Amino acid sequence: MEGTVKAGLPAAERTPFGTRAALWVFRIAALLAGMALFFPPANPGRISEKINAAASLFTTGVSRDTITNSMGRILRSQWIQDTDITLLMIACVVVMAGVIACCTGACMSLGNRKMRRRGLALPILGAPVMAAGLFLIHKCYGSMLAHGEEVGKLDTIRIMLPDGFPVFCVFAGILFLTGLIAFLTTRPETNPSVPMEMEEKYKLFLMMLPVILLSFIFAYLPIWGWRYAFFDYKPGGTIGADNYVGLKWFGSLFNDPATVSDLVRVLRNTLIMSGLGIATSWLPIAFAVLLAEIRSTKFQRTIQTLTTIPNFISWVLVYAIAICIFSTDGFINSFLTNILHQTGANTNYLQIADHTWLKMLLWGTWKGVGWSAIIYIAGIAGIDQQLYEAARVDGANRFRCIWHITIPGLMPTYMVMLLMSIAGILSNGMEQYLVFENAMNKDVIEVLDLYVYHIGIGQNQIPLSTVVGISKSLIGITLLFAANGISKGIRGESII
Amino acid sequence: MSRKAQDATMHIRRTAGDRVFDTAIIILFVLFTFICIFPFYYLLINTISDNDLVTSGRVNFFPMLKDAAGNGVFGVQINNYLALKNVQDLGSSVMVTVARTIIGTALMVVTSAWAGYLVTKRKMWKRSFWYRFLVVTMYFNAGLVPWYMNMLMMGLTDNFLAYIIPGMVAPYNIILVKTYIESIPSSLEESAVIDGASTLTVWRKIIVPLSIPILATIAIFGAVGNWNSFQDSLLLMNNRPDLYTLQHRLYIYLNSSSNLGAMMSQGGTVSEQAAASMLNQRVIQYTVSMVSIIPILLVYPFMQRYFVKGIMLGAVKG
Repeated sequence: MEGTVKAGLPAAERTPFGTRAALWVFRIAALLAGMALFFPPANPGRISEKINAAASLFTTGVSRDTITNSMGRILRSQWIQDTDITLLMIACVVVMAGVIACCTGACMSLGNRKMRRRGLALPILGAPVMAAGLFLIHKCYGSMLAHGEEVGKLDTIRIMLPDGFPVFCVFAGILFLTGLIAFLTTRPETNPSVPMEMEEKYKLFLMMLPVILLSFIFAYLPIWGWRYAFFDYKPGGTIGADNYVGLKWFGSLFNDPATVSDLVRVLRNTLIMSGLGIATSWLPIAFAVLLAEIRSTKFQRTIQTLTTIPNFISWVLVYAIAICIFSTDGFINSFLTNILHQTGANTNYLQIADHTWLKMLLWGTWKGVGWSAIIYIAGIAGIDQQLYEAARVDGANRFRCIWHITIPGLMPTYMVMLLMSIAGILSNGMEQYLVFENAMNKDVIEVLDLYVYHIGIGQNQIPLSTVVGISKSLIGITLLFAANGISKGIRGESII
Repeated sequence: MSRKAQDATMHIRRTAGDRVFDTAIIILFVLFTFICIFPFYYLLINTISDNDLVTSGRVNFFPMLKDAAGNGVFGVQINNYLALKNVQDLGSSVMVTVARTIIGTALMVVTSAWAGYLVTKRKMWKRSFWYRFLVVTMYFNAGLVPWYMNMLMMGLTDNFLAYIIPGMVAPYNIILVKTYIESIPSSLEESAVIDGASTLTVWRKIIVPLSIPILATIAIFGAVGNWNSFQDSLLLMNNRPDLYTLQHRLYIYLNSSSNLGAMMSQGGTVSEQAAASMLNQRVIQYTVSMVSIIPILLVYPFMQRYFVKGIMLGAVKG
C-alpha cells in the first residue's frame, strides 16, 4: 500500500535539497538542545558559582535545593534575594518549555507533509519562548549583580554568566532560523482528508531514540574524556592551551623511570594471573565431564547447585569468607588449636604474600568453576547419544568415549571461551585484587585495572591513568579483532 | 530413555576399575562441594553462637552456647542479628541497596524488554546500525578514569541516580531478549497488527507476556548484580557515606582496624546496650556478611531454573 502511494507521487512533490538541509540542521540542533537540558556544563542557569556545578538546566528548574544547597549564609543574610531565585527557576522552566517544544517539532518533522508543517510551527513558537527564558535569566543575573553590589558582597556571591548561556542563545537562533526556513519551504497539505501520520520506520526509530541516547551518554561520551591525556590536568582545574602537553604522558609510559618500573611490575602481575587463568581454563570441562560420569542425576544436580553458589556472591563477601576461614581467629587456626591441640597457631594467612598469584587463582576457581562448567554440562547434554552407543558397540570403553566423543563435542565452545579470555588478557577486573590487597602483597597483587584505579582515583593523576586506560582499551580491541579473525579463519565463525 | 539404556548397558559391563573410578569422582565432588559450602555454614554458626566462644575459637563445626559452668554446649542465639540495628550506618546502606535493587532492576528489565523488542523490527530506520551501536559497548570501554570524569560531568557523583540510570541500558540483556523474541512465532504479532494494535499495545499485550521467562532471567541476574554492587559506590559516592551500598559498607567494616563495637550508636534500652557491648568486631563483620548473603541464598532456588537458559542463550550471539 505504502509503495503504491510513494510511486504515485509526482517528482515535484519530493522535498527540495534546501529544505532537507534545513530540516537536518534543525533536527540535530533540537537533539543537542534536548540533551543539553540534562548536561550540567551547559547549564545557562548557573549564574552564580555558588550554584551546584553538577546541576543541569533541568535540575535548576525543578529543584530549589540544588540552587541553594551551598548558599546557607548568603540566603540568610539576603545577599541573594529569594525572589531572584524564584525568578531564576521560572526562567529555567521557560527555557525548558521552549526546548521541549522544539524537540517535539523535530520528532514531528519526520512525519508526512501535514505532520511536518504542524511540527515545524513549534520551533517558530518555541525558539522565541527559549529566548524569553534566556532574557529572564539575564534579567535575574542583572538583578543579582545589582543587589550584590548594593550589599557589597559580590566577592562572596560570585555572580557570573555561565558558558551555557551563549550556547543556549545559539541554539535558540539556529532552531528558529532552520525551523522557519523549513516551514516556509514546505507547502501546506491542500487535501484536508490526508491524516497526520508518520512512516513506520521513523516511528520505530523515535521509540528507540531514548535507549540510543542513554547508551551514547554512558558508553560513548566517556571517550570525550580521553582529551585529559593531552593536558597537564589537575582535579578541579581546567584544560586549555596553557596546559596542553601533547604526547608527554604517552611518552612517560616509556621514559619516566618510576612509571616504567610500575608498569613492568603491574603488567607482570596482570599477565601471570591472566595466564594462570587461561592455563586452567580446561578445569570447567574436566568438571563437567566427570560430573556427567556420575550415574545418579539427583546427585549431579545437587552438586551442580551447591558448587554454583559462590559465583553469586560479591568479591567483598568472598573476602569476608576468607577472613572467617584464614585470619588469625579464623577456622584454620581454631581448628589447629582446639581440635588438633597445636599451640601457637595464630597465623594470619591473608597477610602472607607468598604464592599470591596461586591464591588468587584458587579463589577465582573456587568462585567460578561450578558456574563455568554449566555451559559445558549443557553442551554434553546436547551431544547425540547415538554416537556413544555406536562407539560402545565398537568396543570403546568410557575413557575412549570421553576422549573421542565428549571432548571433541565441547571443543567449539571451549575455543570461543579461550579466545575471549585471550582477548581480555589485560582486563582482570579490579574487585578481587582490591579486596585482597594489603601492605604485604601490594607489589604482587596489583593488576593493571587496580593500578589505574590507584593512580587515577587514589592519587588523582588523571592524565597518566587516562593514558594507561587508553592504551589498554586500544590493545584490548586489537586483541579482540585478532581473536575474531583467528576464529573466522579456523572455524569460519566470528565470536563477536 | 537413552540415559536409562546407557545405564543398563553400563551395568553389565561395569568392571572393578569402573567402580574405583566412580568412587573416586564421587569423593572428589563431595570434597569440592564441601569446600564450596562449608565457609557459608561456618560463617553462619559463628553468628549464632555465643560470642565469647567464637572469639576464643571454640566454635568449629556446630553452633555453641555457654552452659552455667561456662562450657560450650550445642545451641543457637540470634542476639547478634537483633543488635545489628545499633550498628552505625548499616541501616542506610541496606535501604540504599534495597532501593537500587528494586528500582534499578525494574528499569533495566523494562528498557531491555523495550529495546530488545524494537531491534527485532526490520522496518526501523537504520536498524542494524543502531543494534551494533548498542552491542559494541559490550566489548569496548573508554577506561575507568574517563568513565569517572564523565559521571562527574553528568553530575552523577554523590547522587543516587548514578546507581540507576547508567545500568538501564544493558546490551547483553538486550541481546538475550532480542534472541528470545525472535523465537516467538511472528504470526501472533501480525494478527494483532491486522486487528489495529499499535506497537506499544503489541509490546505490552503480546511480547512482554510471552517473554516472561527471559525477563525473569535477566531480572534475577540484574537483581543479584545490583545487590552485589560495590565498585560504583566506591568510585562515585566519596562525599555521601549515606549512599554507600551494603557491599561497600561491609568492605569498610572488614577493613576497619578499630573496634567496630565502638562504632555502635549509643542509646536504646539497657539490655540493648549490654548486647551491643558483647558484640566484638569479628562478630559484627560476620553478621553483616551473613545479612548480605542471605537474600542471595533466598532467591537462589528461583535463579537456578534460569541458569542454563540464560547462559545458553548468551552463547547465541545476535
